[in-house]
Amino acid sequence: MMNRVTEKTENAVISVRGVSMSYGETRVLDQVNLDVCRGEILVLLGGSGSGKTTLLKHLLGLAKPDTGSITIGGVDITCCSPSELAKVRRRIGVAFQAAALFNSLSVEDNIALPLRELTRLADSTIKLVVWMKLLAVGLSDAGSLYPTELSGGMRKRAAVARAMALDPEILILDEPSAGLDPIVSAGLDELILFLKRSFGITILVVTHEMDSAFHIADRVAMLYQGRLIAVDKKEQFIRNAHPRIRQFIDRQADTMPRVGAGDFIEAYLGETTNDK
Amino acid sequence: MSFLEQVGRASIVRVEDAGALTIQFVSALRKIPRALPIVGSRRRWRSAVGQMLAIGASALPMSGAMSLCTGFILALQSASELRRFGALQYVVDLVAIGFTRELGPLITALSVSGRSASAISAEIGTMVVTEEIDALRVMGLDPVEFTLAPKYLAALVTVPCLTILSTLCGIVAGYLFLAFSMDMSFRIYFQAVAEAVLLRDVVFMLLKSLVFATIIVHVGFLQGVRVHGGPEAVGHSTTAAVVKSTFLVLFADLIATAVFYFMGWSSVQ
Repeated sequence: MMNRVTEKTENAVISVRGVSMSYGETRVLDQVNLDVCRGEILVLLGGSGSGKTTLLKHLLGLAKPDTGSITIGGVDITCCSPSELAKVRRRIGVAFQAAALFNSLSVEDNIALPLRELTRLADSTIKLVVWMKLLAVGLSDAGSLYPTELSGGMRKRAAVARAMALDPEILILDEPSAGLDPIVSAGLDELILFLKRSFGITILVVTHEMDSAFHIADRVAMLYQGRLIAVDKKEQFIRNAHPRIRQFIDRQADTMPRVGAGDFIEAYLGETTNDK
Repeated sequence: MSFLEQVGRASIVRVEDAGALTIQFVSALRKIPRALPIVGSRRRWRSAVGQMLAIGASALPMSGAMSLCTGFILALQSASELRRFGALQYVVDLVAIGFTRELGPLITALSVSGRSASAISAEIGTMVVTEEIDALRVMGLDPVEFTLAPKYLAALVTVPCLTILSTLCGIVAGYLFLAFSMDMSFRIYFQAVAEAVLLRDVVFMLLKSLVFATIIVHVGFLQGVRVHGGPEAVGHSTTAAVVKSTFLVLFADLIATAVFYFMGWSSVQ
């Protein structure tokens, strides 16, 4: 067991070490340590406000941590130069939660944009690459449409296709199934598995959907109040006894403190006795 | 105490705004060459041309009509006073100089501010909300080069052109009034205009319009970038963009005019 862990750390593509970050008084990330290994699908779970979006922003170099380091492909992106950061970013493809397609461009042009801007490929080559990416995500007949004409699931697929445009080593998907119906969301899960199988890329999925997480994940990590409370293979993760994880898996609400009329009177009495 | 706190907080916000605007201005200036036709990127230039149509061409009817109205009003108001002294011919000087130095650039800036500061801030704000700006940065594309530089270039080209045209509109309005009220001929009117307006007035007008274009684009962009939260935040920032850019345009105009006056450039010999 220990052996496997050390071996995993060695072929980690993304390695997060002791990352902390606060907004004013609030701790958003607290000593996060996380490794994403080559060729695996790691699902990062967490409720709303658990810090998963913030962690993602840090991984993309859009925010800098207060302390700690984030190494991607051997480069520490918390203290590297802008040009090195740009190089690292070219190895990462990101599909944002809201798809973040450029509304003024057609789907084809959206996918072609990074190719046109960052490579010196000929137009005919770019066309071919775009067509292949569209085929891979199952949108081969929607290339000439504009983002506003697409359904939610198609937008997500188009975002994945754009993220794949530069053949990244790492694909990061932010809430791929948010706002989608179960059938479309299952289709996206299949797409993610297909991408892993056929291109062997490393995929990091950020989500709060348990079903989809367990379907696609090799390993699951869980963030709670800025802390990583578990990182494990999904078979072990399901059996994890941490109360928050059980709550997440069993879909239980937080227990609300019950407030009755008596509490107010007691609180009031308590205050008046304190005054004396 | 709380009053002092409020004043202090408000001043800090203003200073921060000024700093952010300066940084943005410098980085936009450095990226503008990328949007130029031959030396820069073809796609940036194409987007700049699109912006020229949006900021400039489609603002033409609006600022032209505003200048015609203002020119007429100025002529009417001044004529009613000057007539008493039998000095109706000075209406020509008033309209010509007033529009070249002041009203032409100002009215253009106000109409562009209303149309384009809001449009820019709404567009950028929406891009922030839908994470498009983040997407650009993650793809390794600089949002300043990609979105701001073409807009700024477009404004720098079109606002002076608009200013010239709306100044002409105002002067033509003055002619229309005088032609109707005292049968002044076209030739005499424009000869008087040419005598009244000096080259330095025209240069001053163009410089002013460049300053106004800078204010409008940068305030609009900064308000867009500052959007936090959902779609309603875009609405707030759009309003703020128009209010702030309009005020700053007027304020810059005041400073520029004061400098012009105290340097003694405004006296007519």
